[in-house]
Amino acid sequence: MSSRARSLVALTVTTAALTACTAPGTGGSTGGDEADSDRLVLADAYEPELFNPVTGHGETGYSRVYDGLVRLTGGSAGIPELEPSLATELPRGNADATEWTVPLREGVTFSDGTTFDAADVAATYAAVLDPASASPIAGSYAMVDSVEAVDPQTVVFRLAYPYVPFPSKLLLGIAPAEALATPGPAEASPLNTAPIGTGPYVLAERQGDQTVFRANPDHWDGAPEVEELVVVYVPDDNTRAQRMASGEFDGTTLPPLLAETLADDEGLTVVGHPSADWRGVALPAGDPVTGDPAVRLALNAAVDRDAIVESVLGGHGEAASTFVPAVFGEFTDPSAVFTHDPDEARRLLDEAGWVPGPDGVRVRDGQRAEFTVMYFPEDTLRRDLAQAFASDALAVGVEVDLEAVDRPQFRPRIPVDGSLLGGGDVPYDPDTQLYAALHSSFTADGVGGPFDNPSDYRNPTVDAALDRARRSTDQAERVADYREVQRQLVADPPAVVLVFLEHVYVMKDDGWTGTEPVLEPHSHGVSWGPWWNLRDWRRDG
Amino acid sequence: MADRRLRAGVVLLVLLAGYALLVPWLAGVDDRVTDFAAARQGPSWAHLFGTDSAGRDLFVRTAAGLRVSLFIAVVCALLSVLIGALVGALSAAAGGWVDRLTMRVVDGVNAVPHLLLGIVLVALFRGSLVAIIASIALTHWTQVARIVRAEVLSLRDREHVDAALLGGATRWRVVRRHLLPAALPQALVAAVLLLPHAVWHESTLSFLGLGLPPHAASLGTLLQEARSSLLLGGWWTLVFPALGLVLATLAVAAIGAALRDRAALPERAGAQL
Amino acid sequence: MTLTELPAPRVDDAAPAAPRPPRVRWRAAGRLARRRLLFVVPVLVVVSGGVFAVADASPFDPLAGYLGDRYLTASEQAQARIADELGTGRPWWQQYGDWLGGLLTGDLGVSRSFGQPVAQVLAERLPWTLLLTGVSLGLAVLTALLLGTWSAARRGGWVDRVVTSTCLLLQAVPPFVIALGAVALFALGLAWLPVAGLTDAGAELTVGQVARHLVLPAAVLAASQLPWLLLNVRQSLLAALADDAVLAARARGLAESTVVLRHALPTALLPFVTLLGARLPELVVGAVLVEEVFSWPGLAQAVVTSAVELDFPLLAVLTLLTTAAVLLGSLLADVAYVLLDPRVAADG
Repeated sequence: MSSRARSLVALTVTTAALTACTAPGTGGSTGGDEADSDRLVLADAYEPELFNPVTGHGETGYSRVYDGLVRLTGGSAGIPELEPSLATELPRGNADATEWTVPLREGVTFSDGTTFDAADVAATYAAVLDPASASPIAGSYAMVDSVEAVDPQTVVFRLAYPYVPFPSKLLLGIAPAEALATPGPAEASPLNTAPIGTGPYVLAERQGDQTVFRANPDHWDGAPEVEELVVVYVPDDNTRAQRMASGEFDGTTLPPLLAETLADDEGLTVVGHPSADWRGVALPAGDPVTGDPAVRLALNAAVDRDAIVESVLGGHGEAASTFVPAVFGEFTDPSAVFTHDPDEARRLLDEAGWVPGPDGVRVRDGQRAEFTVMYFPEDTLRRDLAQAFASDALAVGVEVDLEAVDRPQFRPRIPVDGSLLGGGDVPYDPDTQLYAALHSSFTADGVGGPFDNPSDYRNPTVDAALDRARRSTDQAERVADYREVQRQLVADPPAVVLVFLEHVYVMKDDGWTGTEPVLEPHSHGVSWGPWWNLRDWRRDG
Repeated sequence: MADRRLRAGVVLLVLLAGYALLVPWLAGVDDRVTDFAAARQGPSWAHLFGTDSAGRDLFVRTAAGLRVSLFIAVVCALLSVLIGALVGALSAAAGGWVDRLTMRVVDGVNAVPHLLLGIVLVALFRGSLVAIIASIALTHWTQVARIVRAEVLSLRDREHVDAALLGGATRWRVVRRHLLPAALPQALVAAVLLLPHAVWHESTLSFLGLGLPPHAASLGTLLQEARSSLLLGGWWTLVFPALGLVLATLAVAAIGAALRDRAALPERAGAQL
Repeated sequence: MTLTELPAPRVDDAAPAAPRPPRVRWRAAGRLARRRLLFVVPVLVVVSGGVFAVADASPFDPLAGYLGDRYLTASEQAQARIADELGTGRPWWQQYGDWLGGLLTGDLGVSRSFGQPVAQVLAERLPWTLLLTGVSLGLAVLTALLLGTWSAARRGGWVDRVVTSTCLLLQAVPPFVIALGAVALFALGLAWLPVAGLTDAGAELTVGQVARHLVLPAAVLAASQLPWLLLNVRQSLLAALADDAVLAARARGLAESTVVLRHALPTALLPFVTLLGARLPELVVGAVLVEEVFSWPGLAQAVVTSAVELDFPLLAVLTLLTTAAVLLGSLLADVAYVLLDPRVAADG
């Protein structure tokens, strides 16, 4: 059957090539081909967000129109390194990591012609933290106590508590102080649609479903060679795949199985980027079924992670036993894994007193081994993962009732019901990957968000290791602590972590070099993928 | 002509209903068991309609979806008739400004496109069956109200009603004893005419991702899934559920049209639903 | 007086009343229009208020739309603070009052889901929706009149049989299924037309580009409306052809085409005009689905977005706009009816 799909696609491509010949010069410039070749058209599954750092744009370092104080470097297989961007060198912390001094680059101008200095940095962070802005990312910067522009080229961050991974918080884009002068909701800021940044690109226009970026000729790091970038918003996966196949786009993001249908096409390459983006089932500690450590261990043994990676993800992903992916290098403990063993799962359940009932579902003291797992209805991947999990659980006598629940109803039910969750929002340090997911301080009411420690997991050993590691400046010590955490996670699992996703992209081979893999965070789209470092792309030959 | 249409419609509907009710029961397959390794297989003897993206048999799943969709449609149609008949009868019986006001309300509800109202209601109370049913029933009663009101108005002028009124019966009693029973057949025909629209409405909402949860089987969720399977070559995921939807619509529409002709309702009663 | 309460044309009426002079008819039409317009305002106020009230009763938190994925990660204090700043926590009538006040002064508010002023969203998207619906309505009306007249005039012929059964079948297929089928066949299978969008990606906005991309969605939308229109034309024409006046004309030996076009068609057009008004809501519904499947950047698509994200200002304006359009459409149809039909007294 897939051959049929391929012939359809092949047909589409041929005809598209013909149409392209009959309608040349859509770029409308005299140097037709030349102009087209310095331009990329990408299709994104996500609507163009608000181009305002205060509303969260570019928080993890992907903005094209803004520069942060630091930026990511790619190429390595592990956690991306940071390099100075608007800073002239990497920030230095004081001995207890509570005060960070950042020297700034001179002679940088914003796209409106004004000069960048320390006041802009202070203003941007102040706006994020100002309650009047109602910034949705304020919580991620809770450790920042104050930001001071010591002189035009130096800024000092003072933290409320020691925080070693702080440099990753400096990826946030910097907007001019003038644009942030009036306090008020970030939602109403003109920056949302008319950004003013120092980045390698400027927003040229937003029309209908298209967003056009042009290279910033005055960028401090040199103007990018890809002169124009058009991002088209095409929410539907299938439409995007079809239009990609017809040659309309230079690249797009696709679910793995759909991307595979394009893999054999001439001139198209399917690219997978590793991510720390996990999917798993949180098991609330308060529930009589999921709160039983035996049930948690049994479920972890019951799921066939390799089969899920193979059939649900089409091979684009990795089985995950804990929240720490292999790309974290020495931080990862290779022994902290679960193996697929349904018989072991049954044995664990038998031992704990869960005996099979008349309908095959186990019972203990009148309590059926049954619980609910919620997932977001619009996310087909989570739907499939939830279905696969429920099917595997049923095979060992645990009944999982699936429920598609929207975010608002989801929130209050997280401590009560199981939920298919994802994470790995800021994977540049084990701390941001693990702390909020596991630390017991987040079980208290009103601390953090509901997504923090969703299972209400309490493990004093884990708590102690997490706290030590975030304050420690000694790498070996941190490695030991994070390995300890992972050993705890397989002995006393808070969840059934299933997979790390590989984010899959399709790109047209049009003669550019400079693509580098990078570890991607939870959010994705064409801001990431092969195009995350578009600024460094060079024309081949 | 009308009889032949009626017979054809009934036969088709009985076949579809039999398929929808019996197949999932006979197959005895647990809906929760997935086999992703067997996903998206084309039609074969083992799987007449092929398999879906989770490796489930589509012959069984289409039947299950048809069952859910027909059930929702019937409940919605009955609810609409209940609301519509009550409002129409009361409005006609009361007459005067109550009648005029009621008819304005009917106009008002009609002025908002049904799907828009449905989308708003379902989006705001997402994921609940009650919201889906309410959103369909609350937007479709107006036609029934009109038909019943017109029927009651025309009956009111007849002699036995005059006689009853002269005999000292209260208005409401006249409505209940004479007018409503007489208007009931018309209302039921209207219910049948509503059915295809209710089936559509449910499938449309589910298709837009606002109706039933995606792991549940309904014609709308199956078609939504088909959208993503099409490019993977899974034509059968579109064809069979769509066929079920179209055949069900045709069957019910044929029955409705035949009944409408018998009841001598205006043509528009069906067209504007 | 509503369109459905208008008396159906009585084709068995052998001797139509003498046509009234045009001035009287225009005055009657004016009265009808005035009365109906008076009805429009309260409906619009109630409908838009209803949107705010219903949205308020919803368990959905408007913050979720604003925060997106971060809705789950932001702390509760942060949420409360944001709700406070945005004013989403206030009672719905206050929000509605503010919105209504803004509306009267020409300020439509800011759309949260699009991050743009509502007026800008409308300005960017309304033209595309009007283009799509206008073209498809025109296409459907033209086809319905041509084929409907043909199949009625040659009743029982093969054209009639094909057209009628196609229409009956098409009536049973929801617009989104037609759309999916059309994409599978014409865009994927035959690759004659683009799959979706307004222009090829990155191409400039030219008439040629838009025209090519318009063909499929407009044809699908027209096809989803066609059966009702066509069958109506055919039915009314058949009835009119049995009319005494037409029979008389035929008896006088007039050519068949003259009989159909001059005598029967004008009578048959009357119910068609009201049907057009009545089909407007369905056209809007069809537009929502067609824009969704074809990624057409119009307003109908924004309806789903704003409802899902609980974007009060945009949702209310869109509901208001559609309702006004539907009311206006049916009003125009009724006015046309009064102007065209000598027998209708505009008493409603």
